[in-house]
Amino acid sequence: MSATPVGPDHDAQQRLKAQEMSRRRFFALVGWGGFLASMGGAAFGSFRFMFPEVLYEPPTVFKIGKPTDYGMGVTDTLKKERQIWVVRNEKGLYVLVAICRHLGCTPNWFQDQQRFRCPCHGSIYDIAGNVRGGPAPRTLWRAAVSLDPVDGQVVVNFIQRQDPDPKSTAEGLTVAEEGREVAPFFVKT
Amino acid sequence: MTGLIEKLRQQIVSTQVWRSIFRHGYPDTDLNRALVMFSNVILHLHPVRVKRGALKIRYTWCLGGLTFFMFIILTITGVFLMFYYVPDTRRAYNDIKDLQYVVYFGNLMRDMHRWAAHAMVFLVWLHMTRVFLTGAYKPPREFNWIVGVMLLVLTLILSWTGYLLPWDQLALWAITVGSKMAEATPVIGVSGPFGLQMGMRPDNDIRFMLLGGTVVGQSALLRFYVLHCVGLPLLAGVFMAVHFWRIRKDGFSGPL
Repeated sequence: MSATPVGPDHDAQQRLKAQEMSRRRFFALVGWGGFLASMGGAAFGSFRFMFPEVLYEPPTVFKIGKPTDYGMGVTDTLKKERQIWVVRNEKGLYVLVAICRHLGCTPNWFQDQQRFRCPCHGSIYDIAGNVRGGPAPRTLWRAAVSLDPVDGQVVVNFIQRQDPDPKSTAEGLTVAEEGREVAPFFVKT
Repeated sequence: MTGLIEKLRQQIVSTQVWRSIFRHGYPDTDLNRALVMFSNVILHLHPVRVKRGALKIRYTWCLGGLTFFMFIILTITGVFLMFYYVPDTRRAYNDIKDLQYVVYFGNLMRDMHRWAAHAMVFLVWLHMTRVFLTGAYKPPREFNWIVGVMLLVLTLILSWTGYLLPWDQLALWAITVGSKMAEATPVIGVSGPFGLQMGMRPDNDIRFMLLGGTVVGQSALLRFYVLHCVGLPLLAGVFMAVHFWRIRKDGFSGPL
């Protein structure tokens, strides 16, 4: 003798049952979810693995000695080690980055011609970095320089660079010198 | 909405790219099931039909499959480790330390490689024990038993060559001791039987060839690295292909 369940309670139970996720569907979700989560975790881990936390590269901010170590004109001695030229004029010092603006080769300094010439495709720059010939589309970069307040050495930031838009003139692609000789790309001495 | 999705699905499924990758329908008929096996290189390594008895987990314990799974893990994690490890005596140990403490997920990658290596050696022994105890080495499977012995030796040498790479005290002295054994090889080792009579010296015997020198140094590290990462895995891959192919041809031995 079992009574057939009737009434509002039974209806509510039936409605709840209809909303319930089936056992099969639940396990399918858990299974696929677990699989995709572990695959995603492995993919993320492998991807992140490829971005090093420590670099064994030369520093991008470095000291190059006192301003008085550098005489008038271009100093060519730091090209190999630091990829820069230190240039002094009447007012002070600036640092040119020894990377050709055409395709990234290292130009050479010719003291007799007072020109930087790139051996790859023949770009020519003057002592200010202005383009005087060849395929270079912009003037040479100037790296940020400052004086260390403690020991008075010149600090070069190789990454922070001055790169104004050049004007096309009869001499080549040039930038007016006045606006360039400002901090942090120029040290007055 | 469902009509749109169905239309999109139809369009994707009917492209040449899709049809060149998935060359048959869903494997719900006997024909399609067989086609899945025949047209997929990885599934093709597995027999199309397997005896019901051989599928029992308590017969094979899936030990060969697990060994192969370890090999796959070792290959993948090993390739990742190669991005940071340089086999140079001056930096090998530091590279390992970097992997452990600096590289993101580097320690996990190294530990997976290390533990999978231990597991592979362990599992390959268990696999051979199982094959021996069930008599699965008997004809017509005697050829595959020998291939398996080769794979066991290759696994051990892979483990041994990998042992040197961290370039710590454990590595150095383990390989020093191990290469002493090579020195005691008959005829071709300087301290083995007939070695001296055959004109063997510390700088021309088999140990010298193995280490590329008379001590465990830079050339030994480089040799072991090349063998560990390229030579031995390639050789093991060839033997594994033959091993799996023979299983496919001979079939599973089945329970006693």
